[in-house]
Amino acid sequence: MAADRGSGWRGLRVAILILALWEVAGRFDLVAGGALPSVGEILVRLWQDRADYPLHVWATLYASAAGFVLGNLAGVAAGVVFALSTTALRIFRGVNIAIFALPPIAIAPILVLTLPGMAPRVALAALGVYFVTMTATVVGISQADSRAADLVRAYGGSRRDVLRLVEFRGALPVILAGLRIAAPNAVLGAILAEFGGGGRWGLGTYLLGSLGRGEPDRLWGIGVIATLIAGLSYAAFALLSRRFLGSARAVTLNTAVPAAQPDRGPLARRIVMSLATVALPFFLWWVFIKATGVPDLIAKTPAAVVDYLFFSPAAGAAQERLWAAMAQTLPITFLGMVAGLSFAFILAILSRLAPRAIEAFMPVALVTQTMPLVALTPLLVLILGRGTSLTLWVTISVTFFPAFVTLAQGIALVPRSAEELPRVYGASRWTEMRMVTIPASLPYLFAATRLTVPRALLGVMIAEWLATGRGLGNLLNQSRGYLDYAMIWTVAAVSVGLAVLFYQAVVMVERRVLGRLGMTTAE
Amino acid sequence: MAAPDGIVLEGVSKTFRGRGKVVEALRDVSLACPSGSFTAIIGPSGCGKSTVMRIALGLETADSGSVRIAGEAPMEAARAGITGVAFQDAALLPWRSVRRNVEVPLEVLRRRPSDHAAEVAAMIGLVGLGGFENSLPGELSGGMRQRVAIARALVTHPQVLFMDEPFGALDQILRRQMNVELQRIWAETGSTALLVTHGIDEAVFLADRVVVMHAAPGRVVEVIDVPFERPRRPPLFSDPAFHRVCDHIAEVLHGG
Repeated sequence: MAADRGSGWRGLRVAILILALWEVAGRFDLVAGGALPSVGEILVRLWQDRADYPLHVWATLYASAAGFVLGNLAGVAAGVVFALSTTALRIFRGVNIAIFALPPIAIAPILVLTLPGMAPRVALAALGVYFVTMTATVVGISQADSRAADLVRAYGGSRRDVLRLVEFRGALPVILAGLRIAAPNAVLGAILAEFGGGGRWGLGTYLLGSLGRGEPDRLWGIGVIATLIAGLSYAAFALLSRRFLGSARAVTLNTAVPAAQPDRGPLARRIVMSLATVALPFFLWWVFIKATGVPDLIAKTPAAVVDYLFFSPAAGAAQERLWAAMAQTLPITFLGMVAGLSFAFILAILSRLAPRAIEAFMPVALVTQTMPLVALTPLLVLILGRGTSLTLWVTISVTFFPAFVTLAQGIALVPRSAEELPRVYGASRWTEMRMVTIPASLPYLFAATRLTVPRALLGVMIAEWLATGRGLGNLLNQSRGYLDYAMIWTVAAVSVGLAVLFYQAVVMVERRVLGRLGMTTAE
Repeated sequence: MAAPDGIVLEGVSKTFRGRGKVVEALRDVSLACPSGSFTAIIGPSGCGKSTVMRIALGLETADSGSVRIAGEAPMEAARAGITGVAFQDAALLPWRSVRRNVEVPLEVLRRRPSDHAAEVAAMIGLVGLGGFENSLPGELSGGMRQRVAIARALVTHPQVLFMDEPFGALDQILRRQMNVELQRIWAETGSTALLVTHGIDEAVFLADRVVVMHAAPGRVVEVIDVPFERPRRPPLFSDPAFHRVCDHIAEVLHGG
């Protein structure tokens, strides 16, 4: 407890120091010619705008809360089904990976086209929640005390009895821990859907409306409020799960899409299952369109997208635009991700040398994790302008912090004795790191990479959409303006496809490398 | 041949396959425990003694051979509430009080705990935990938790009682105390008991017959009768006759 309090105070001191530096930099317009207003100026502006906020905040809160509830219900239900049936888990793997990897901004316009009123915002918020809760449920249930489960079965208890008496209750703490990450995700989803259009109210709408007016203090005010909402929702569930768990462990997103044991059935069965896994996302896409009853002109089925991209008269031009956009988006995504990850990896490794400095930095890193990306981007626009460096910095900043938290927490798990062994034989710090710390942190590097794949693409697309006017994000935004429905669906599908491809590539490399080293995947 | 309400295994074989390895856990294991008897299975780690119990409980299915618990298939016997079980670790549900943990088998068997409140209280008293009914497992010592597991195993008044190293996690002193108590409880209930254990003295003190198993493949090598009169008392642990039986079992265990 004493150590806890100590680091709490240190965190507070760091926070005060940062605020003081911010105040000075803002007062004297030290950053980018006044793009960074002082804390005082932001607060004054917040007060002046106070009449605007309630309706915007209410709209965002309403959509986030509704999405949070629905997403959690769906997540828990799906998690239970997946925990009970490995067949279901296998068939839905494709859908689950797609939902994890999809950049929400890519499908925001689609949801706005197909769903009425607030529904797109609720749906996007729910999508952000679903994956976290589903994973937590599956993990929680599969980690349940197998002896207690045996006991229930030994009395002739059915699978349902085991679930009811042992597993579900045992999974609750894990699910609760997942909720605190799910809550800020819901806020992010709701705000992103507001970007997609429709509706007068909402912090995203407010942000979009204020972006062109070049008023840094207002943009910062909106960013602060959005961060506050996300941060408070995180804190509320952190408090709840601390009550429940009796521990205050910092949790990061579990980035492993739950997988069943490899199927040992006959080859034909395995082939059918694999095909079903790949086909199911497209089938659900088709069902979604048929269920919403949106006219074909607006809603494009998978077949319609293929037709548009390859067989229609406009196919050539469409392909050209798509290629051009991808050529702009992908290199910068890759570069930003590599830079963010390397930076995080080096800092996390070094954190082993100066643990106290990192302890103080950790709360700051955790706060930035709950900060909605969308609130960050406009602020970076103010500071960096609308060029390529903006995209790069957005990507680095959205990958760095989560990667750092994952890595630092992973490296902290390396047993002291393992590190002390080389030291006993007189190894230098560097040898110790080369022999123990770096190899031991590899699983966490992969976990961090899996986590940052969708974030990096999301970051780049948000920057492109809002500011730089290049790449896939811009193509999506532009197509909205031109009412080029086929292109909207195409960009969305391609973005999700790219994210899934990236993710799968990382998973494959990870399996190969960790398998060779005899290590297991970090959760 | 055993009476129809005992435990009968005939020619049971079981092979596990996984990760490219094939492990022959049991080869042609036969075992007959007469009604009301106390049988102990002893053997080195990995000899399949726990697998015998898991098959008898219906948690695993045998590749070949037949299993009858009180004349019925294992799962049927379980559903009929004939069996009771205690595992090596207490396997208590941490969020349930002692009383609610003891009630778990009743709930699984769809019996209403409120109809059995007297039995639940009696069992908790029997294992010496009166007054701890509302404590959570986290507040109890290891020995107390294990006694909760015993109470839970007995609450359904099982005709057949399975115990898989129920005192494995306890220290030697507590273990002897528990052995004496278990003998008393078993005598009061009159059930057929099968105990899987690592401890030779524990097996000899409690059982009518000790079944010795060897590993790779798991098989029964000898069944040794234990002649001592009941009730057996703690001084028996230092009786030379007791040690002769123990030494003999040790010889058989080590391939003598």
